[in-house]
Formats: sequence, C-alpha cells, structure tokens
Amino acid sequence: MSDDAVPLWRRTGVDLRLLLMCVLLAALAVGFHVLSGGLFLTPENLYNVAQQTAVVGIVSTVMVLIIVARHIDLSVGSVMGFIGVLVAYLQYTSGWSWPAACLAGLAVALVVSIYQGWLVASLGVPSFVVTLGGLMSFRGAAFLVADGKTQPVNDAFFQRLGGGYDGGIGTTWTWLLAAVIAVVLVLRMLQRRRARAFHGMPNRPLWLESVLVAVPIVAVFAFAAVMNDYRIGDKPQAQGLPIPVLLWAAVAVVLSFLVHRTRFGRYVFAMGGNPDAAALVGIPVKRVTLMLFALLAVLVTIAAIVSIARLNAGTNSLGTGMELYVIAAAVIGGTALAGGSGSIFGSVLGALIMQSLDSGMLLLDVSIGKRMVIIGQVLIVAVVFDVLYRRRVGDN
Amino acid sequence: MHKSLRALGILALGFSAVGAMAQTVVGVSWSNFQEERWKTDEAAIKAQLEKLGAKYISADAGGSPEKQLADVEGLISKGAKALIVLAMDKDAILPAVNKATQRKIPVVAYDRLIEAPGVFYITFDNVEVGRMQARAVYKLVPKGNYVFIKGSPTDPNANFLRAGAQEVVDAAVKKGDIKIVGDEYTEGWKPEVAQKNMEQILTRNGNKVDAVVAANDGTAGGAVAALTAKGIRGVPVSGQDADHAALNRVALGTQTVSVWKDSRELGKEAASAAVALAGGKPVDKAAPWSGGEKKVPLNSRFLTPVPITRDNLDVIIKAGWITKAELCKGVAAATAPQACK
Repeated sequence: MSDDAVPLWRRTGVDLRLLLMCVLLAALAVGFHVLSGGLFLTPENLYNVAQQTAVVGIVSTVMVLIIVARHIDLSVGSVMGFIGVLVAYLQYTSGWSWPAACLAGLAVALVVSIYQGWLVASLGVPSFVVTLGGLMSFRGAAFLVADGKTQPVNDAFFQRLGGGYDGGIGTTWTWLLAAVIAVVLVLRMLQRRRARAFHGMPNRPLWLESVLVAVPIVAVFAFAAVMNDYRIGDKPQAQGLPIPVLLWAAVAVVLSFLVHRTRFGRYVFAMGGNPDAAALVGIPVKRVTLMLFALLAVLVTIAAIVSIARLNAGTNSLGTGMELYVIAAAVIGGTALAGGSGSIFGSVLGALIMQSLDSGMLLLDVSIGKRMVIIGQVLIVAVVFDVLYRRRVGDN
Repeated sequence: MHKSLRALGILALGFSAVGAMAQTVVGVSWSNFQEERWKTDEAAIKAQLEKLGAKYISADAGGSPEKQLADVEGLISKGAKALIVLAMDKDAILPAVNKATQRKIPVVAYDRLIEAPGVFYITFDNVEVGRMQARAVYKLVPKGNYVFIKGSPTDPNANFLRAGAQEVVDAAVKKGDIKIVGDEYTEGWKPEVAQKNMEQILTRNGNKVDAVVAANDGTAGGAVAALTAKGIRGVPVSGQDADHAALNRVALGTQTVSVWKDSRELGKEAASAAVALAGGKPVDKAAPWSGGEKKVPLNSRFLTPVPITRDNLDVIIKAGWITKAELCKGVAAATAPQACK
C-alpha cells in the first residue's frame, strides 16, 4: 500500500471518532444556541453545563478503565450516595472538620470498593452481579447512615469544592492554568519530534504538527476566556474556572497519564483485550483488578465530595440512577462494552454531550418525558455508530 | 420437638386472642417498616389504642405486596376486630381488604388510598398542602415570575400538590400579575435534579425569578442551592415534610415555609377511627369522598397539615419534632426568628 492510499486523516494520527464527537458537540451547542434565542452559548450557561457535568464526568473517566478491563460497576451511584451522606453526616452531626470527614469517607469507600473488587478478582464472581448487589446494599447504607435525614453542609470553604457562589478559581489562576497547558502541549510536541528524529523516524510536516497543537491550545484559551467572562449578579470579580471542573480536568489528565505512561494502564488494556493471554504472559490480573477498584473508590469519593458541596447537603437519594449516566457517557465516548478499548478523553466528550442535550432541552422547556426519550435514543445512536465505525475500520 | 413447641405457641396465641375478646383488637399491616417515618406513626397508634383500651397487633410486609396479603389474613385470624392498612400496592391489596369487609371487619386505609367499598380513608390533604405552599409564597410575592418545582412525574401526589398551588395563584396568573416562567417535574424527587432544573430555569429567564413553589423539602434544598450559587437571596421558597435540614433553612431565612404533616396526629386519628368503627360507631368528622381513580365512594377523613414558617417555629419545638439547638444551628443572633432567641 503506497503512502498516498492512506487517507489524510489517518496520516495525521487524529482519532476520527473523537474528532466527530467534537464536531457533534459543537453542532449541538450551536443548534441549542439558535433554538433558545441565544441562550446556550452564553458564559452563564456554559458555566452551568460544565459544573452539572463534572460529577458524572469524574466517575466516567474511571468507568472507562473498568469497562476496558471487561468489568462493570453498577454500584457507583449508590456508593457515591453512601459516601456523600457519610461525609456530610460526620461534618454536620458529628462535628468533624471537613478534611477529616473526607478522609474517613475515602477510607470507607476503599473498604467498600476493595471488598467488591476482591469478590470479582479473587473469587471470580462476575462484577455485574457483585455490583448489582452493591447497587441495592449501599443505597440502603446511605439511608442508614443518618436514618434517611438530610445532612446540610455549611462549611464555606467546603462548599467552594462544589462550585457555587465562591467556587471559581478566579481569572488570574484561570489564565495561568491555560498558559501552563499551552506550554506543556508545545514542549511535548517538540520533545516528540526530537525523539523521532533521534531514532531516525520520519516526522510529520511541521505545519500539520503546529495545527494539531494549536487547535487544543485555542480551545483551552477560549474556554478560559468564557469562564473568566462569567460574573454572578453584581459580584465584582469574575468566576473563572469552577473548582469541580478543575477537579474533573485533573482527574482526566492523571488517568490519561496512567493509561499511556504506566505499566498499570497497559496491563488494564491488555487484560481487556485478551484476559487469558494477559494471565499467561504473567500480568498479575488479580492485583491489577484490585488496584482498579481502589482507583474507582478514590474517584467516587471525589465525586461524592463535589456533589454534596454543590448541593450544600448530603441526601440519601444522592446519585440514584447515576450509574446509567456514567456508563452511557463512557459508551458514547467510544468505550466498547466488550472491553479492550476506550478513551478517557472520549468519556469527557460523552459526558458533555449528554449533559448538553439535557440542559439544552431544559432551556427550551422540553417536557421531562420527551427529554428522557431523546437522551435514551442518543445513547442507542452512539452505540450504533460505534458498531458501524468498528466494522468499517476493521475492513480497512 | 421444635414443631410441637411451635404448635403450643400458636395455641397459646389463639387462647390469648380468645381471652382478649372483651378488648378490641386492632391489627395494623405496615408496608415497609424500613422507612424512618412509620416508627413515629406506630408509636402514636399504639399510644392512642392503649388510651382507648384496645390492643395493638401488627405485621410488617417488608415491602412485598404478596406478603402483605398473607399479613392481613394473619391479622384477621389472630382476632383483629378492625384493621389499619398502609398498603404497599393499592391494587394488589384488594383481595385481602375485600375478605375483611365481607367478614364485617372495618378497614382503615392509612395514608395511601385503597379503593374498595367500605374502606375508611384517612390521610393528609395533599391538595391543601399545595395550597399552603403557594399561599405562604404568594403572601410575600403577589406579583412576579413564579417557578414551580414539581415532584416526581410518577407520583400522583405531585399533581395534587401542583393543583392545590394553582388554585391559589390562578386568579393572579389570569390577571397577568403572576407569570409562570418554569414548571418542571423532578425525577424521583431528587434534590440534585431539582438543582439542575432550577439552574437552567434561571439561565432561561436571565435570573429574573421572584418566587419558587417547590413540592417538598428535598427539592426546595436543590432550588435554594441553585439560587445561592447565583448569589440570589431573598426569593421565597416553599417545601413540605418538616425535614430537619429544611426547618434549619426556615430559621436561617433561606426557605419560607415547610408544610408539616404531623404523622403522630395521623396515627392518633387512625387509631380512634379503627376503634370507633370496630364498635359500630361513626367516626368523628368523617365525610364522604369519591375523588379516587375509580371514583369509589368512601368515607374519609382528611387531616389539615400545618404550615411552618419563621413565625411559628416554636410549634415544632414544643411538639418535640426537633430540638432548638438543631433548629437554630448557624442562625445569627441579629436575624434570628423568635423561636431561636
């Protein structure tokens, strides 16, 4: 096959699926903007949507890895509710400081998650069954923690973790962060080029490489500009990046690093691709599975903290049904339910697409029944697309 | 050995039931005792029955409609002369209820409607709750943009509440004084869903919202969180259930009203009704009603709930529902309501 036969988009090394999703997201945003008479693409609404997506987004990033490893976790919503109520209860009723309450929450989440992970990894019980049981038990546990009573969260600093009135990091930090990201992206590109040249491998043309780096940088700065443009009511300072979104971004970056740069990440994908082969080549499957569930516990705790801080209360219904949104975000983001492939960045886009649909339709005052019908069908469309896409790429 | 012991036990139970014939036995069938609130109801029913010299026996269906059928039959065979039934499933319970009424054992449908002839239905008036919510808010904001945060779309009570609220504001809406700028159901009564809906309603209306009629305290919490995050203060918000967190918000001034359905009152009245019916006497303040789905004419008693606002918080402390310390947590002395001083 000559070089010309390879289509341009494949030579660039850009993931066509992710690109299409970005286009879809942009199309949705523009569509809603026009239909709502110019409401969707306002700083206020984008700030809303970014925050509303963060909790589902945080858990989705790790759900990608769980699904890649051929497992599933249906208990994430219930565990999040349980940990959320627990952290709120320790602060409100027991009078603990918020860091102590959060650490206790993390410890309990680890116990819960490692227990489930142990059943899956060591006893070989299907994760579907284990976590289906967890889905019920931990919802019950969420009720038992405070006898079903709502636990308010009043600490002003803690509330900032959920965004809200004082929940932005301010304009200076937002610009600074955008600049750091830009520098890192450019440095990485230069480093990669140098490495390829050193090993005598052909480099992509410089213009193409520049475009590929410039596009995300422009996107980051545009996002920073929008967040810095949002001012609540008559508050003198602009909000800047909301803390939940910052946490989400940090989580996504850390997980991407784990996937691409660590043995753990490669093991997870290897296990998902072919579990038998993975075990035969000496991958410690049990240990990796346990680590994966422990990682899930950490992220579920972060999500629980963000959601109670955002709601200013821990309620026993917190996170009910969230597992479906989390799994849907991963699937829309191109994670194959059969395992073996998926991307963290895809889950970010998947979560944003779902929340944009929901929030956009709310702006248009679409009734709840129609909203549910449409979001459900979008999930199916995404999976159909996934199936067709894989078939096509496989044909190539 | 074990079997004969159990048989002895059953015999003994039978005898005690016979021995108690002089005393009215009231059987209570609970749907699911896991929920915290029914414990309060049970204590009230027990206390009232004791006062009236009747005997309390009960069974808990643990959330299973099938088990509840067996429970009701069990209560009848244990000698219940009247039944109080909190139905898990309003339709699945019918065979058991019909069996009881055929044997001339009166049935009190407790809090949840059972539509069968001869049933006595006792509950709080949900339409009135809706009226009270809207009234408290309307009193403060007779003109402006209203948002209705409704309950779950699958719960018929959500529509009763909304209908009651509409009655209060209807005239003002027609006159154009009140504009309804948001009217959303809250899937599963979830506070976080209410918060998200409220955020989008605020954005849709450029934050110009003057009053929020929320269906219960959970959704009110979500709406208040959305408002505070936008730095909007002083918008009246309604609720119901007298959740401790909501009462605290009323004391703090971020929520206007929480309509309180005192379940102890409901338990007390249900116990009195059961004893009266068992003795063949009419129930106090009973009224005919046929507003259910199947329009079955029933005798009923609707209790009036109490709207708790900043001005009557002392009522709820005196009732022992919440301690003063819990109610007034974080309330600044300067702006404290009377009850916190």
